[in-house]
Amino acid sequence: MKKYIIAFFLLAISFMYIFLSNETGGARVFVNLMTFAGIYGLAAIGINVHFGWTGLLNFGHAAFMGIGAYTTVLLIPHSLGREGVVISSGLPLPIAILVGIVAAALLGLLLGLPTLRLRGDYLAIVTIAAAEIFRLLVRDFENLTGGVYGIIQFSDSLQNSRPDFITRFSESYDISPAQFWVGMLTWISIIVILLILSRLKKSPWGRALRAVREDEDAVRALGKNAVLLKLQSFMLGAAIGGLSGIFLVFNYGTVQASTFVPVLTFYVWAALILGGVGSLGGPALGAVIFWVIIASTDSISRFLFESPDGQQLAGVRFVIVGLLIMFFMIFRPSGILGKKEELLLDVK
Amino acid sequence: MLEQLGNGLLLGVIIALGSVALSLLYGVTRIVNFAHGEIIAFGAIMALFFSSSPDSSLLYLDRFSPLGINFLTSVILSILLCGVFGGLLELCLFKPLRKNNFGNIAVLVVTIGLSIFLRHIYLLFASAKPTSYILELQRREDYFGVQLTPRNVQVLIIGFAVMVLVGIFLTYTRTGKAMRAVRDSSDLASISGINSDYIILVTWIFSSMLAGFTGIIQGVINNVRWNMGFLILLLIFAGTVLGGIGTSFGAMFGGFIIGILVQLSVGLEFMDGHTEAKNAIALALMIIILLVRPQGIFGNKDRIS
Repeated sequence: MKKYIIAFFLLAISFMYIFLSNETGGARVFVNLMTFAGIYGLAAIGINVHFGWTGLLNFGHAAFMGIGAYTTVLLIPHSLGREGVVISSGLPLPIAILVGIVAAALLGLLLGLPTLRLRGDYLAIVTIAAAEIFRLLVRDFENLTGGVYGIIQFSDSLQNSRPDFITRFSESYDISPAQFWVGMLTWISIIVILLILSRLKKSPWGRALRAVREDEDAVRALGKNAVLLKLQSFMLGAAIGGLSGIFLVFNYGTVQASTFVPVLTFYVWAALILGGVGSLGGPALGAVIFWVIIASTDSISRFLFESPDGQQLAGVRFVIVGLLIMFFMIFRPSGILGKKEELLLDVK
Repeated sequence: MLEQLGNGLLLGVIIALGSVALSLLYGVTRIVNFAHGEIIAFGAIMALFFSSSPDSSLLYLDRFSPLGINFLTSVILSILLCGVFGGLLELCLFKPLRKNNFGNIAVLVVTIGLSIFLRHIYLLFASAKPTSYILELQRREDYFGVQLTPRNVQVLIIGFAVMVLVGIFLTYTRTGKAMRAVRDSSDLASISGINSDYIILVTWIFSSMLAGFTGIIQGVINNVRWNMGFLILLLIFAGTVLGGIGTSFGAMFGGFIIGILVQLSVGLEFMDGHTEAKNAIALALMIIILLVRPQGIFGNKDRIS
């Protein structure tokens, strides 16, 4: 109970900080931060299924997010590459999103089949390598993916479905209606997915997953197929990652190869560790607090450097991300909401 | 295809040296060190700091000016500094974690945090632009059909010599034997009177010095930049996994193969116009190796279960 009170206070302080540090346009900053937090929180929920539930070290989440995003965007009307080739026909958005999620799950299957038999630290290397392969291929096959020039003008498919009251509400509070709509859909997805996951976690399947995390040999001895369970968990987490990638590119309004660099995965990990590995709502909470911290690093940069340039802002930001990951992993590995006994820390 | 062989040999030496250091550290401590690339970059950046002329301000924030020492001294100084750095990492960070029974996975996540932290410290203090050491420019010449500059040939010879020395050190010296003993079984090593804490410290220092040397070679062949370590790290992982993680000679061999393969693949026909994908080939090879022979070419099966 105590940690929920701490979580509540941290959230309250974070929100107060946003509104107090932005006297004008606080609502706009708030919506911006909450949209990013929702997207990263959703991605972190995916990694949590991998790592928190099943003990799988996935450091290639950017690839799952990327394949979901690219599949969806390429299936709807968009404008592609250097010349901006316009493709004006496409599938309806809900079907495209569904195909994107399935594509992410299939990439999880493809990657999981050869690697899930291996020990944990190998999986970390393989997933990060796979994410780099994905990014390099996306960058290189320009006529399919737009490469570094990317894909633009695909947001309309989503924004056309925006209800009028959102537009009116946004205008009266001076927030970007497009971002508000993306953020709202993201948080609705988080709630729906968390409801499904809370049922799954209590199901026999969810218990078997946690048993795999604790002792794989025992699971095998009881006649369960541990590799199959890991594979299912890998696909489920990858699918959630795919959905978060779709929201990410709709929030940016563009998608390039550089959107899905390894750093994206590390951000998501930082949010997960902050919120609490293994807990249900932890990743989403962690993402909110993570983004408030990230937003406040810019004032640290201004304190350190007189007029920080982009390089210094990014540098300070990531120095703090690295410190956060180290600090929480060493001193509070269960994060804000996690349970210490549910952690996989003493595994050799 | 042959014109790429020279580049392949050079990249092979870099990756082979980096792989030995990574693999040795993994063997002795069981740490998959994602911050390995940052130690590589530390060596390269320190050598640049020592050797660049004092009036060049392109590298550091204006409060530090480069020292302008001659290049060979800079190299030795920065390799020593890398050793100190590695030793401090072990004493201040990894030894306390080990004493508190942190598992491998927790330590792996810590090294990822450390890697992000260090890399962006370099970004804050060093320029984001690639910078070269002050060495005169040389023209490529023909050595048995392979195109290399004279300096690159020197680098190749020195690199090979260092690898041979590492091999002799591990095979014949007392400390090297103790390292291999701890690697094979730390329990058996400690009952035969080997102080495993001391050996782990020595391994950290040794591996970091080797990493620093790798970084300097990389800087001489290409250039120095803040994220050079992270760019090469995945190829080093590929080399280590190919040769067998935890092995020394296997890692050297694997690293060398990866380097040559990456550069030769540039000459392949279907790679035409897809230069970025060359690294993807090395990484894909690593995944295939894990599929068919997870212990690597020279690895022991019991290390991977």
